[in-house]
Amino acid sequence: MPDGQLLLEPPAPGEAITRLSGPARRHALRAKSGPVLSRGSIHSVERDGVVHLVSENYSYKSEAYYAILMQETQGRRVEPGTKAILDAFVVPVCLERARMDGIPVADYAISQSCIPAPAVIYGLNYFACTSHFEVLCDDESARELVRHVTNNGKYPFCSQRLEAGARIERAVSIFGNVSSTDPAMAGMAAGVWDSFCIPLVEIICIDGPCGLRLSSLCPVRYSRLTPAERDLLSAYLSGQVFL
Amino acid sequence: MSRLGIFVDRKTLSSAEQLNALIRCRDAAEEMGHGAEFIFPVDIRKIPQVDGLFIRARTDPMNITYVASRMAAFAGIPVIDDPDSIQVCSDKVHMYARLMREGVEVPRTLFLSFRDLTPARAREVFDELGSPLVVKEPSTSFSLRVEKVEAPGELLQVARRYFKLSDWVVVQEYVESTYDWRVGVLRGRFLYACKYIIPSQTFKIQDSVNGHVVYCGVESVPPQMVPPAVIDLGIRAGRAIGNGLYGVDIKEGPAGPCVIEVNDNPSLEGGEDTAYPHVYREIVHTLLEV
Ligand SMILES: Nc1ncnc2c1ncn2[C@@H]1O[C@H](COP(=O)(O)OP(=O)(O)O)[C@@H](O)[C@H]1O
Ligand SMILES: [Mg+2]
Repeated sequence: MPDGQLLLEPPAPGEAITRLSGPARRHALRAKSGPVLSRGSIHSVERDGVVHLVSENYSYKSEAYYAILMQETQGRRVEPGTKAILDAFVVPVCLERARMDGIPVADYAISQSCIPAPAVIYGLNYFACTSHFEVLCDDESARELVRHVTNNGKYPFCSQRLEAGARIERAVSIFGNVSSTDPAMAGMAAGVWDSFCIPLVEIICIDGPCGLRLSSLCPVRYSRLTPAERDLLSAYLSGQVFL
Repeated sequence: MSRLGIFVDRKTLSSAEQLNALIRCRDAAEEMGHGAEFIFPVDIRKIPQVDGLFIRARTDPMNITYVASRMAAFAGIPVIDDPDSIQVCSDKVHMYARLMREGVEVPRTLFLSFRDLTPARAREVFDELGSPLVVKEPSTSFSLRVEKVEAPGELLQVARRYFKLSDWVVVQEYVESTYDWRVGVLRGRFLYACKYIIPSQTFKIQDSVNGHVVYCGVESVPPQMVPPAVIDLGIRAGRAIGNGLYGVDIKEGPAGPCVIEVNDNPSLEGGEDTAYPHVYREIVHTLLEV
C-alpha cells in the first residue's frame, strides 16, 4: 500500500524564521536589537500556548500560509488561522465577517459592469490583491478603471460608494495597535485584531458622514513600516512587549 | 416547498453540456416540489433568501465562488461546496496533508518550498520517490499544471515555473494506469462511480497534444461492477475532507488503490451519472430536506 509522508521542512540554515519561546525568549528580552525584519522573513511569538506568526505576506499559497497550514494540520494552536487569512483578503467576505463581529463596515455591492463614481473598487479574481484598489473619481475615468479591474469584464468586482466628503484613511496595525491618535482608528484596529488575529496588517477605511468604516485589509511590506512601527513590531518579536 | 439556489458564472453557461446538466438539476428540484433559481455573481446578496445553495462553477478560495459559499455559511444556509471543502480541495498541499493525516492511501508525496529546492534536494527527491515523478502546482485543475518529470534538472525547471504561482509545489510518485476511477461521495456515502479513460497520447485525463485538447472518455459504471476496495477508499477519502459532495479520483497501483485527488464541485455533465439516475435528487434532498 503506498502511503504518503508529511514532510515538514525545517527552515534552511541562516533563514530568519525565528521561533521565540522559553530560553530563547528570555535571551531576546536582554538583546538590544530585535530580530531582523528582512524581506520575506517569517517570525513567530508564542503566548499562552498559541503561536502567532508574523509575515509581510500571508496570501494564499505563500510560505507563511503553508507554515500555518502545517501547524494546523498537526493540531497546534496558531494565529492567524488559514481560514481567517482567506476571509481577510477577499473583500466582501472580510466585510461580512467583520460586520458579524460588530465592526462598522462600508456598504458594498458586487458588480460586473460600470458603476457610478465616486467609489472604491476591488477586483475579485485569482490575481487580485486588496492593496491594489482603485478610486473612481468621475464617470469618465471609471469606465477605464473598471475595465482594468475586471480584465475587460471577465471578472466581477466589489464596489463601495464614497459619499460626498468621504476620504480613505489607512493605518498599519501591529498586534492590534496603530500609531494613529484617532480613537476611532484605534477602536477599528482593536476590533480587526479580535476578529482576524493578524499581527501585521494594513487597515483601509472610508471616513465619511457615518464615521469610520472598514473598506478592506491589506498585507504590509516590512520595508514600508515607519521607524516607530518597526520598533513596536521588533519589541513584540523580542518579547519586550507582551501580547 | 423550499428554494434551491444554483450558483453559476459565465463559464458554466458557456458550455452546452453544462447547461443541460443545470437544467436536469433544476428539473429534479421541481419534480421534488421545490423551486430552483440560478444565482449569478452579481446576485450574491440574494443568497440569504434561498434555503440551499448548489455551486456549479470552478471553485477556488480566490474567486467569486468562495464569496458565494462563505455568504451562505454566514447565513446558516446549507451549501455545496461549503467553504472548508473549497479551501481543502482547491489546494493540493492542503488536500494531501489532510488525506495523509487521516490515513487515506495516496501515492508517496512530498511538498517542496521554493526556499529549499536546490539541485541537491531535487536529486534526493528522486532517490526518495523514484522516477518518473509527477509535479503539481497546488491550484491546478483539469490537469493544467501537472507534469511528469524524469530527471532532477527537469524537476527544477517545472517547479520554478510553478513557484510563480505558489511558494510550495507537490511532487509525487508516478502511478501507471490507463484509467482513473471517479467515486462520487455525498455526505460520507457512495453516490456514483465512473471511469475516466486516459487518452493514449498522454498520462493525464485532459491534455493539450500538438495544440489540440484531448479529453478523456467517461464511462459510468454501476456499483456492482466497481471493486469494493475502490468504493471503500473513495468513501474514506470523502469523509477525510468533510460532509459535502466530492469526486474522488483513484488509481489501482501495484500496491493497491490510492487516491490521486479529491475534487469538490465534481463535474456531472460528462455522463458520469448515466448509471445513477438519482444523483441530482440526492443532492437536492441533502441541501433542502435534511
Ligand atoms: N501520481 C500520479 N501518477 C500518475 N498519473 C497521475 C498522478 N497524479 C496525477 N496523474 C494524472 O494527471 C491527472 C491530473 O492530476 P490531478 O492531481 O487530478 O490534477 P488536476 O486537479 O489538475 O486534475 C490525473 O487525472 C491523472 O491521470
Ligand atoms: Mg483531477
